[in-house]
Amino acid sequence: MKYIGFLVVLTLTVALALSVSKQFGAIPPLAPLLDPYHGFWQNSFSEDELAEDILELSNLSSEVKVVYDENLIPHIFATSQADLYRAQGYITAKHRLWQMEFQTMAAAGRISEIVGPLALDLDRMTRRKGLAYGAEKGVVFIQENDPESYLLLEAYADGVNQYIDQLKDAQLPVEYKILNYRPEHWTAFKSILLLKYMTDMLVGDRDLEYSNLRKILGDVMLDKLYPEYPAGVDPIIESGHKWNFNPLAVTRPDSINYPDDQLVLDPLPQPEEGTGSNNWAVSGSKTKSGNPILANDPHLSLNLPSLWYSMQLTTPEHSVKGATLPGALGVISGFNENIAWGVTNATRDTRDWYKITFQDESRQAYRYGEKWEQTTFRVEEIKVKGEEAYLDTVAYTHYGPVVYDKTFNSNRQDVNFALKWNVHEGSNEQKTFLLLNTATNYEDYNTALDNFTAPAQNFVFASKSGDIAMRIQGKFPLKWKGQGKFFMDGADPRMEWQGYIPNAQNASTLNPGRGFVSSANQHPTDSTYPYYVFDNSFEFYRNRRLNSRLSEMKEITVEDIQALQFDDYYLHAAEALPIMLGLLGSEFEDDDQAKKYITLLKEWDFYADPNQKGPSLFYIWWRKTYSQVWKELSGNVAPIVLPSYYQTVLFMKNEPEGIVFDLKNTAQTEMASAHVKQGFKEMLEDMKKWELEEGDFSWANYKNTTIKHLVPQFKSFSVENVYTGGGSGIINATSERHGASWRMVVELGSEVNAYGIYPGGQSGNPGSKFYSNFIQKWANGEYLDFKQRTTDQTEGVLFQTILN
Amino acid sequence: MKFILFTFLTALLVVVFNPFLHYWSVMLLIAIFAALVGNRGAGAFFAGGLGMGLAWLGQSLYISTVSGSPLPQKMGELMGFGSDIALFAVTAVLGFFLGAFSALTGSVFRRLLKRKPDNIYKGY
Repeated sequence: MKYIGFLVVLTLTVALALSVSKQFGAIPPLAPLLDPYHGFWQNSFSEDELAEDILELSNLSSEVKVVYDENLIPHIFATSQADLYRAQGYITAKHRLWQMEFQTMAAAGRISEIVGPLALDLDRMTRRKGLAYGAEKGVVFIQENDPESYLLLEAYADGVNQYIDQLKDAQLPVEYKILNYRPEHWTAFKSILLLKYMTDMLVGDRDLEYSNLRKILGDVMLDKLYPEYPAGVDPIIESGHKWNFNPLAVTRPDSINYPDDQLVLDPLPQPEEGTGSNNWAVSGSKTKSGNPILANDPHLSLNLPSLWYSMQLTTPEHSVKGATLPGALGVISGFNENIAWGVTNATRDTRDWYKITFQDESRQAYRYGEKWEQTTFRVEEIKVKGEEAYLDTVAYTHYGPVVYDKTFNSNRQDVNFALKWNVHEGSNEQKTFLLLNTATNYEDYNTALDNFTAPAQNFVFASKSGDIAMRIQGKFPLKWKGQGKFFMDGADPRMEWQGYIPNAQNASTLNPGRGFVSSANQHPTDSTYPYYVFDNSFEFYRNRRLNSRLSEMKEITVEDIQALQFDDYYLHAAEALPIMLGLLGSEFEDDDQAKKYITLLKEWDFYADPNQKGPSLFYIWWRKTYSQVWKELSGNVAPIVLPSYYQTVLFMKNEPEGIVFDLKNTAQTEMASAHVKQGFKEMLEDMKKWELEEGDFSWANYKNTTIKHLVPQFKSFSVENVYTGGGSGIINATSERHGASWRMVVELGSEVNAYGIYPGGQSGNPGSKFYSNFIQKWANGEYLDFKQRTTDQTEGVLFQTILN
Repeated sequence: MKFILFTFLTALLVVVFNPFLHYWSVMLLIAIFAALVGNRGAGAFFAGGLGMGLAWLGQSLYISTVSGSPLPQKMGELMGFGSDIALFAVTAVLGFFLGAFSALTGSVFRRLLKRKPDNIYKGY
């Protein structure tokens, strides 16, 4: 009897111990998570409470000193580049390990390993786009062409891995504990993959949508609604710039047969609206001190842990500080003792689709001219948590992967399209940043940029010696006018890209007469640039506001530049609202509520400051009106894009009674005023609801800027309703989910002064006091002092660590 | 008195060894300890449970107080408890059950070994 009793008790105890160590559905293993000595409780400590004087890091040539300032920004002092990047890997992993691994898991199409089958389609899409395939080519390219950089990539990986190997359970980032997995080793491949992931984040194409639009609207209407150079474009390289080179010839085929199907496919995920950036530099002639000042604020999805991680990286030869990307070597946007640089996305259509005609069901061969070319197959093994691995076979043509086929096409239209994208070609973007980090002048900057393929960027530059410059750098295909705007026939060899624009002929400018250079994702050049340039997503508002301010500003100070980065002027509203109020007429004069709103709108100064009510009203009214104007177009089942806000306002202004406003399927002839009135009516309904449910409709409250944890379900790790102004199309481009992910201002005098801030914190740990401590300052438009530190400086030190 | 001492010593065991050992190793230690010390049934169960439960509660309260971190609150919301208070309770209760069943197992095991001599005396 007692044996049975013992067995029962023992079984119960073992069952209990096992059940609290196992995951049930979304519930993580409870005991490892709640154990106060190893579980999440241990992640409550901030980094300064866990500071150690000495940490072990093998394979260094001599010891490395890491000094943290009060904001937990590490300043790494090493004696060689290999030591520096080994330490960078180690220190970055120490503060951002989960994030850097999670991002590369996403880039590799491996999220299903962590979260299970719900991410399978996402992973298939990522793999079918060929990001990992491109990174594999990148590894080979760098190994063959630049073995020195490859060694540095390996040193960085070694630093990360030494940290992972030393990592105690207690200090394992809390996300691993909740999601119940462990970090794996880092590799050079992962660093390269991360930069490919940035390309995926920043590069889009609208070939599918434009193919459909061409079919729906015809060429004439397409050009009217979607002009490639709308009136009033203010390009990045100043208008009238002289191109001092002989362009390569591009021949346009005499006849072009576009695949003519109207396609109901899910388009490839596109960079989200609001992804963009500003950068500019003003020359000494325009500043009070006579020193050049450079500014950069990349706008990306607002996330925690922040995409950026600040660091100073110092060797006896160079010292650089700024924003790094956890997982990549060096500083991405920053400055050293001699120069400063920054990046904005140079949107341009570098991603094209070719329709593939396979010989038969087996897809072994596809038509190319008169011949059949052999297909290769790449089998993607996608591991799925809690299930068997999923095998996905992707056909590769010489163009690139066949993303859509009969097994991966939600609407089962039986078509095959191959994706040609320069991300699939071997390239070495890492080299650009390694060289920029040590660059001392304009020539060094140009040499660094020659290595950069994708995602194409507008690189702004300023040097202590007084130069300011802008160069639009990427590997841009040579295209005839209109090439790649629509799907092309892959069986026709004449549809091939005819080469690439030489680096030396990429649009650039040095010390232009107007005394400043700037970019904000707009058209790169005026129409005199001798190559075909097209993109659907060129921006029209930030750049014109920025350029008009920079033109009129004199005696500029660092504070002026900071204020300009935080400028809330809503140019789109300033241009559209007077027209809309005019078209509205006196229709709503008897409605008290309507009168209240109209008065608010009329009194509004067009600044989208957080306490203003005008921007909320305009924003709703505009969106309602816009969707009313293009109701018929957006009613198509086939995916399309709508004309830009800018073009729509131009139509409202120049031809308010024009045919573009008429909805064909109604009896009467609509004009702009009908849409404006309908939009206003709908706004009244929305506002009634909002005032009833939420009350306050001041801008910050309405737009609800939220900085979300990378796992959207981890709501309590996010920061919601940040009180700040700005919005999409405004220099301070802070909308609901996007905005300045990093703001930097650098003055290049005899002593370099720098200021920076980002919406997050240095720590990736949601339990740390350094996790989100920059957000309030960022929301107020304040900056941290980013001046470089010397190794013996003692003030403002949080703690320091020797790596040995 | 023995009950309080058992509780205290179990807690001490957790405080000393848990930092280096996983919870299941600690459970094993508590079982061995209970087998050696020899509290009976319910006494072992509650003393072992209170020992480990209080040690876990104490440690989580200590961490939370010393660090002042918002993490317990955030985790409470994330796990659907709404607040950190519930999370302290859940940690304590989990510790209690792990400790209680371990101690009970140890105590029953001890009785198992003692069974024969008991029977011998009873038989004669």
